[in-house]
Amino acid sequence: MTKIFLLPLDDSHKDEINNLLLSCNFETMEAALELEDILTQIHHFCPDIILVENTLLNCEYIIRQIKSVAKNQNTQIILLMDSSFKTDYITLFDGIIEYPLKKDVLLAVISSHFKIKKSLDRLYENNKELSRSLYQLNVLYNTSSQFTGTLNTTKLCDIMTEAMEKTLSFDISSVLIFQNKIPVFNLNTIHAPSDNLIDALKIRSILNYKTLFDESTLPYNTDFDEIKVIKKIKQSRSNKIYGIEIFSYDSLFAPIKVGEDFFGVVELFRKKPFSNEDVTCFQAISHQVALPLRSAKLYEEISIANKKLEKLERLKSEFVSIVSHELRTPLTPVNNALEIVLSGQAGMISSEANNFISMAKRNIQRLSGIIEDLLDLSRIQTGKLDLKYKEVDITPSLELLAKTFLQVANEKNIKINLDIKEKLPLVYADIRRIEQIFSNLVSNALKFTQNEGSISVVGQVIDSSEIDYDKLVMPAIVPDGKYIKISVRDNGIGIKKEDIPKIFDKFSQIESSLNRNKGGVGLGLTITKQLVDSHLGAIWVESEEKQGSVFNVILPLYDKNKVFEMDLTKILINNDDTGIIRICFDSDINLIDELKDKKLLNPSRLSKEAYFNVDKKTIYTLVIPKITSGSFGAFYSSLLDYIKRTYNNGCDIILKKAHSKKDGNDTGKILSILESNAG
Amino acid sequence: MKRILIVDDEKDIVETLSFMLKTKGYDCICAYDGEEGLNIAKNINPDLVILDVMMPKINGYKICRLLKFDNKYKNIPIIMITARSQDEDKLIGEETGADEYITKPFEFSDVLEKIEKYLG
Repeated sequence: MTKIFLLPLDDSHKDEINNLLLSCNFETMEAALELEDILTQIHHFCPDIILVENTLLNCEYIIRQIKSVAKNQNTQIILLMDSSFKTDYITLFDGIIEYPLKKDVLLAVISSHFKIKKSLDRLYENNKELSRSLYQLNVLYNTSSQFTGTLNTTKLCDIMTEAMEKTLSFDISSVLIFQNKIPVFNLNTIHAPSDNLIDALKIRSILNYKTLFDESTLPYNTDFDEIKVIKKIKQSRSNKIYGIEIFSYDSLFAPIKVGEDFFGVVELFRKKPFSNEDVTCFQAISHQVALPLRSAKLYEEISIANKKLEKLERLKSEFVSIVSHELRTPLTPVNNALEIVLSGQAGMISSEANNFISMAKRNIQRLSGIIEDLLDLSRIQTGKLDLKYKEVDITPSLELLAKTFLQVANEKNIKINLDIKEKLPLVYADIRRIEQIFSNLVSNALKFTQNEGSISVVGQVIDSSEIDYDKLVMPAIVPDGKYIKISVRDNGIGIKKEDIPKIFDKFSQIESSLNRNKGGVGLGLTITKQLVDSHLGAIWVESEEKQGSVFNVILPLYDKNKVFEMDLTKILINNDDTGIIRICFDSDINLIDELKDKKLLNPSRLSKEAYFNVDKKTIYTLVIPKITSGSFGAFYSSLLDYIKRTYNNGCDIILKKAHSKKDGNDTGKILSILESNAG
Repeated sequence: MKRILIVDDEKDIVETLSFMLKTKGYDCICAYDGEEGLNIAKNINPDLVILDVMMPKINGYKICRLLKFDNKYKNIPIIMITARSQDEDKLIGEETGADEYITKPFEFSDVLEKIEKYLG
């Protein structure tokens, strides 16, 4: 029925109009006298049409006041006027009827304006619906980018409920979701829920979840008491408490799943019924969350498996370490006893007995060597290899090495040549480990070279440009600069091309009839590679089957001047010859102050030395051979920030090697800090 | 004749070591656990002590500390025997105060060299 509101009419027309309208069965209301009351009346009555006479006092003002209310925008205002009436504000009105009134004209005008009003209302509603859908779409779009940003189940669940809250403004959402096989029940509400309601919703969720499966194939435990409840209640001013009456509200339910993989269920309750668009939106969000949830689940599974593996690896290393130590003790008296017998102090022995005892003694030494290798490897793997770096000349060590192997070489009639092409500069190294590297290489060469062969050890200085990077055993980072290169060359059995990448793996002695009985456990090269890495060097092999092999090791030069002249800015920018900068925190006071000024370090918390390697490319290498304190992570992080600020070019920062003496795990943490910060 | 105290619960090690040291002209006294070793050390005030780390009752570190932080005995050189070579910092460091260490299995010549450094 058309609702007509009559603004105060002139007495001369009042009765006539009223009678006319009533006879047409319109619903009418007469206006009060005060403007305020009129507005209230209109607010409650919601008229389709307002009739006004031009004789009304303040007509323009009143009409403007009515139109300024948003709700009245579509209400049709029709002016009743004398034909002589002239006004400037005629456009304020939607229609005009002139006196004298004719019934059919009045009805026609009212009827057509009523239709206009209704059309406008529909348009308005549609528009509202459209902008709501637009808003929902917008939220959906934003949510999907949020979903891809995390692999945390709790966060994903929060993003989902937040998105639903924005788009669907529910009263209560209840989400049952499985985190790591453990069910968690999330409740989001506007008002506090009663305890009964929480339990009821929980049971409802479990039942909903169970309906997704046959009872027998339920993948996870869903015992009521096992389920953790997380409540989030929006700050609400009223003291209203939701009870089980919410079950009479409209509700939406969806499983969260990818294919047949169910992660949980979500259910919403809202007093105001959900529209079709709401349902679509709800389905879209609950569908969207499923994929990242699956990724999160897989990620969690992988991390758990990874942790287990790490633990196993550590246990293995520890086991090797313990067993090796235990083996050393019984080996000691055996060795001692043989020595006593050989020394003749326990009585003279025949030369034949002497030969056999010597044989036993040699094998004891070999056994000790193997135990040492196992221990070294276990130390390297647990980050407990303790290197004592110093600037050293390696030439005397190489000479000594050649002498040590002379006897064994003579037995096989193999010549060992030491060929140092020029005086080798100093390197920064633990000389015992350098000796171990070349002792491993030379003894390998001896092992795999037939009688009458020859072995040469060549030392020279080379530039990084002469290195063929493709041949390097990975992983390796070789900054530009000068290096000492030591090559151990033999003309032995050689290595098959396809075997070359394998020889640095643990326990890999290449299977072949020739070297089956060469002794050793195949750890030598693994350890050698690790030791070379610790010295910032690199290793590679050139070999041809039956022709022989060349093992090349490069070690970066030590430059004393650089240590004392560098300030931090130069350290990070200076990329000359070696690219290696050593910082001595003990001796170089200026540098300590400099670093302190830049708030980069607290020397008391640091180990004695840190070792940085910066090259021209976009790779910056931090090498920390010694870590003794647990609180240096901050130092390296701030150093890293500094590097990133200085080189604002998105460089990669790689922590190449770090050893912690006391706690290998700390090193792991630092590694991850640096890598995750690297831009 | 210089007197050397050997403390190790591994009898075989003690026996072979003392045999060889005797042939080099040292007087050897042997103890087979930490407590006995500490008592003998305090009684006879030896010229040098060779001490195993892992022992029942009192371990080598503790004996070493007790001797090195006692003015009466602090000048006695102490050589530690260990199966754990990464302990070397702990052995030689201020914490324990040992003078030398040897890793098992050791060559007799190495032991002798280290002894002669103090008693030669």
